[in-house]
Amino acid sequence: MEAASIAHAGGHAHDEHHGPPEAHRSSRVEPQLLGMLLFIISEIMVFGGFFTAYFFIRVAQGDPWPAPGTNLPVEVAGMNTAILVSSSFTIHWAEQCIKKNNRFGFKAGMLLTFLLGCSFLFIQINEYANIGFAPQDGAQQTVFFSLTGLHGAHVFIGLLLLLFVTIRAFRGHYSPEEHRGVEVPGIYWHFVDVMWLVVYFTVYIL
Amino acid sequence: MVAAACAAIAIAIGIVISYLIHWFPVQASTQAKNTDRLYHVLVIASIPIFVLVVSVILYSVWQFRMRPGEELKDGPPIHGNTRLEVFWTAIPTVLLLGLVGYSFVVLKENEQGRPAKEVQIQATGEQFAWSYTYPPSVTGGAPLKSDQLYVPLDQSVYFNIRAKDVIHAFWIPAFRLQEDAVPGITTHWRVTPTRLGTYPVVCNLLCGLGHSLMRSKVHVVTQQQFHSWVAGQMSASAGGAASSTGSSG
Amino acid sequence: MRHRDEDSGVQTLMAARLKQPGFLRGGLGILIGIAFSALLTWVVRSSTGHSTFHHYLSSEAILTVSLIAAPLAFLVGLGGFDYWFYWAAGKKTRPEDHSSHGAYTWKDYFRINTDHKVIGIQYTVNSFFFLLVGGLIAMLMRAQLAQPGSHFVDANTFNGLFSVHASLLIFLFIIPVFAGLGNFVIPLMIGAPDMAFPRLNALSFWLLPIAGLMMLGSFFAPGGAFADGWTAYAPLSDTAPVGQTFFSMAVQFAGASSIMTALNFLVTIITMRAPGMSFFRMPLLVWANFATSLLVVIATPFIAASQFFILLDRGLHFNFFNAAKGGDVLMYQHVFWFYSHPAVYIMMLPGFGIISEVIAVKARKPIFGYRMMAFSLLAIVGLGFTVWAHHMFTSGMAAWIRIPMAITTAIIAVPTGIKIFSWLATLWRGVLHLDTPMLFALGFLTTFTLGGISGVMLAMIPFDIHVSATYFIVAHIHYVLFGGSLMTIFAGVYYWFPKMTGRMFDERLGKWHFWTTFVFFNLTFAPMHILGLEGMPRRVSTYASQFAGLNLFISLASFGLGISTLVFLYNMVTSWRGGPKSVSNPWRALTLEWQVSSPPPVFNFDRLPTVVGGPYEYGVPGAVHGIFAPTPAAAGSGVLREPSR
Ligand code: HEA
Ligand code: HEA
Ligand code: CUA
Ligand SMILES: [Cu+2]
Repeated sequence: MEAASIAHAGGHAHDEHHGPPEAHRSSRVEPQLLGMLLFIISEIMVFGGFFTAYFFIRVAQGDPWPAPGTNLPVEVAGMNTAILVSSSFTIHWAEQCIKKNNRFGFKAGMLLTFLLGCSFLFIQINEYANIGFAPQDGAQQTVFFSLTGLHGAHVFIGLLLLLFVTIRAFRGHYSPEEHRGVEVPGIYWHFVDVMWLVVYFTVYIL
Repeated sequence: MVAAACAAIAIAIGIVISYLIHWFPVQASTQAKNTDRLYHVLVIASIPIFVLVVSVILYSVWQFRMRPGEELKDGPPIHGNTRLEVFWTAIPTVLLLGLVGYSFVVLKENEQGRPAKEVQIQATGEQFAWSYTYPPSVTGGAPLKSDQLYVPLDQSVYFNIRAKDVIHAFWIPAFRLQEDAVPGITTHWRVTPTRLGTYPVVCNLLCGLGHSLMRSKVHVVTQQQFHSWVAGQMSASAGGAASSTGSSG
Repeated sequence: MRHRDEDSGVQTLMAARLKQPGFLRGGLGILIGIAFSALLTWVVRSSTGHSTFHHYLSSEAILTVSLIAAPLAFLVGLGGFDYWFYWAAGKKTRPEDHSSHGAYTWKDYFRINTDHKVIGIQYTVNSFFFLLVGGLIAMLMRAQLAQPGSHFVDANTFNGLFSVHASLLIFLFIIPVFAGLGNFVIPLMIGAPDMAFPRLNALSFWLLPIAGLMMLGSFFAPGGAFADGWTAYAPLSDTAPVGQTFFSMAVQFAGASSIMTALNFLVTIITMRAPGMSFFRMPLLVWANFATSLLVVIATPFIAASQFFILLDRGLHFNFFNAAKGGDVLMYQHVFWFYSHPAVYIMMLPGFGIISEVIAVKARKPIFGYRMMAFSLLAIVGLGFTVWAHHMFTSGMAAWIRIPMAITTAIIAVPTGIKIFSWLATLWRGVLHLDTPMLFALGFLTTFTLGGISGVMLAMIPFDIHVSATYFIVAHIHYVLFGGSLMTIFAGVYYWFPKMTGRMFDERLGKWHFWTTFVFFNLTFAPMHILGLEGMPRRVSTYASQFAGLNLFISLASFGLGISTLVFLYNMVTSWRGGPKSVSNPWRALTLEWQVSSPPPVFNFDRLPTVVGGPYEYGVPGAVHGIFAPTPAAAGSGVLREPSR
């Protein structure tokens, strides 16, 4: 029972090591899944903070939106929306494939999702470069860039996760039994996708 | 029984002391009178609650403390009592709603609508000084800009509060009124001064290096004195610095 | 990968140590981070050529980027991300050999350690370090305020002092110390071998010293420390010297740490409870941290957002708060307080949990109204999100918002009152052991009630209009934060000291600590109510001479309060090093953490406990909370299985 009585397993004294008893599972939800869901709640609240700024600067002040003399490229962004939405389907397909042990479909799905995400980000950066106004111009422009930019940052994080999964997919990881490492980043990617729909709707369409 | 009596006495003493303590600066407006009354109501409502909590603690320490030989003794396993719990949920709820309701009554009194005759003054905060603009409705001519604040006795005064750089707060403790001066918007408060004299005007929101020294004074004078002061300022500024008032727009 | 054998010069040793995770590699990380920042700002500035940025190289820009890059690179160097890098690259991850569990020398506290008990102690000690620094800063403030006039520090330094004082005590002391105690105690209390995500847990700890040093480091920034209060209202903070960036960035690190810990607590509590530990058999400390973690997960992102706004305004000249270009100044306050009001309950609810443990054990009675205690925590969580604008009664926001907010603010006293009254009823007819943890618990009941009542007064709008931003607020702050949170922290540290260290503290010194703290605390902060009512503003380095007498009195009392803290420090240090050994359950408590040795075994439980009853069944003959299942061989013989839920 004494702490010191357990030998400090320095390097590889594996057989000597006395691990913890298996934790009791008091919920049917997987810890990783629950963690990701809670993290997504936090992420939604980050967006909530930025939408508060949007609310005060666009809605409460009541000035016309977009600011006179500026133009939002609704069509380009609409196309981008389609790209992102389709990537949600491809990652879902990839998940289905690994569950059925279709390794080719899994790898192709992940790669496709990753490339779709990249093109979304690329198009958005292009849009920034050609949009004709800058966040320094005024508060409305600030709100536009920070909301879309915050989302872009999330796409970037999501892409990193997808990249990791893709690398591991090509290295032969995951199996029909063990695919939590695909599912959890997948949820995040769906969240990024849904969040874009909200941003697109409020910023470009409304 | 003894304990309850002690508690009652403590409550009484507390209330008496609360009346003896000199809590506030001078009371120089009708709003100040209302607010001070609210404060006294709050204190009288709070003292019994605090005394109750402390009495129960002291009584328990006195009666139920572990005596030698009781080291291994446990108390009776009482898990709860629904009636008691309902009681101490309901009573504070009623009390609190009562207090907050009364505070709305006072708030309404303090902010009640615009009287027929009212003096409007604009107070402007900038790092680190207050300045005041008396509009044409007061001066009868061009707007008057001054770094002095004069207000007439027994007349409603309406302040428009603005800021040039960062947030300040326009606070006159003797009136018990304050509101932030916020860049981009105009805020307000309304006061009826009731006591002649000179009182401090305090910037009460951290606005940088000079915040501690961003002070000014308000002079409450009779209505006659007020108008002659305004007239005097007007002729002084007409003599020399007329252009400076013009630029304040 | 390759291994060079006999070539053992100093250089290879150095190189090997630079490859090992640790402080050396962390230091290297800092250098790389700074170099990276310089490069990045140069590339970005020279490629955009935007008219806003005139210079291609600006020390302020490099500093700003370094404040993000250098700490992250340091963490990489320290080894905080090693596992995830392996995972991400699809390499074989090191099998968990538990070599990072347990602490065997003091050095083990200075590396990435994934044992929740080690992390708990790291958290607690680190937080108390910042309490002492923050308190020392308070002493400097009181020295300045002892007399009117600028005799000790100038106005700018003074503004920096109270800003750093409050920021350290809130973000680096109260919030993390509760997370630290929770870290140590919660897995033990619910019968789990560790937290759900041990590596995340280690990472969230190491973000804290970074945040703290960043806040302190701001004193060395050009223009001085951040000086806009812990609230950092825009637009003042938009235009302040570069020290302000240190605040915004440090808050991001501390906030990230909070969120990660809260996720960890929630997942641990939901998925890792021992068999039989239903929600309504959890000790109230676990409930309190559950409620707090909900607050953290939902609210903390808002302060992150508010500081992102400030950083973008400062660094890239965005216009969130530039009224001249359509920015909205009051928006900052809404976003800030939407976090920072719930934050005051983040700083109080875990303390409520501690008090429930201490009072039940020390009064030898079950907690009165256990379920109401749990529900009132949840009620406070819910109501806590509906009151933020009571900090803005004089801010110039739309007047009608004040009305609903005043009502919710007043009503939040009801669930809090339920807790106070239930503790009082728990005391009633108990057998009170009046030792140090209990004294602090009783002291807490007194001072917190006072602070809560002054809070309720502040909910009354016309009264708040007069005293807002005066010393009345300063009095309220300290009655709830010192008289509330800190009292519970002292109670908790004394209560779990034997469990954490395996040794007993000096009871006589503990009593001295309590009485000096209680007396000097009230002498210091009670007169501040009067100062505020009479019209002394907060956040001033000098004041009208009419306030001189009381201020001198307060300053003298505060020095006494400082010295009383030294008594605590002395007691803790000497008892930890040489106090008498503690038995496993010195308080005869029922909750699970007391059923294992002091300090607990590396993996908490050799066999998982099974929970068969409530946590506070004192006085019930023969009651137990948990039993240890027999060895697997003998399983099934008369042991209660998990009740179906
Ligand atoms: C631990 C931290 C903590 C806690 C728990 C609280 C608790 C409360 N606070 Fe406090 N507050 C702060 C920390 C805290 N506060 C800080 C740091 C600030 C200043 C921020 C800044 O500007 O820097 C602040 C400022 C602040 C303000 C703004 C003042 C201003 O700037 O103008 C207000 C206004 O309503 C307020 C109200 C309350 C209320 C109603 C409670 C309630 O939750 C209290 C409830 C408890 C009780 C009431 C006691 C027990 C109850 C009973 C015994 C039942 C019966 C009681 C009655 C019927 C009255 N607080
Ligand atoms: C948990 C939070 C916490 C704690 C514990 C404290 C503790 C103390 N605080 Fe603090 N304080 C705040 C939170 C806290 N404060 C906040 C949020 C603000 C608002 C800031 C703002 O406006 O933005 C504030 C503001 C504030 C002010 C108002 C500043 C102003 O508005 O101008 C003052 C003034 O007296 C003050 C004093 C003190 C004192 C004397 C202590 C004492 O309790 C400290 C006790 C001392 C120690 C614990 C240190 C131990 C001693 C040593 C290491 C050596 C000392 C040696 C000798 C004296 C010999 N505080
Ligand atoms: Cu202006 Cu403070
Ligand atoms: Cu609040």
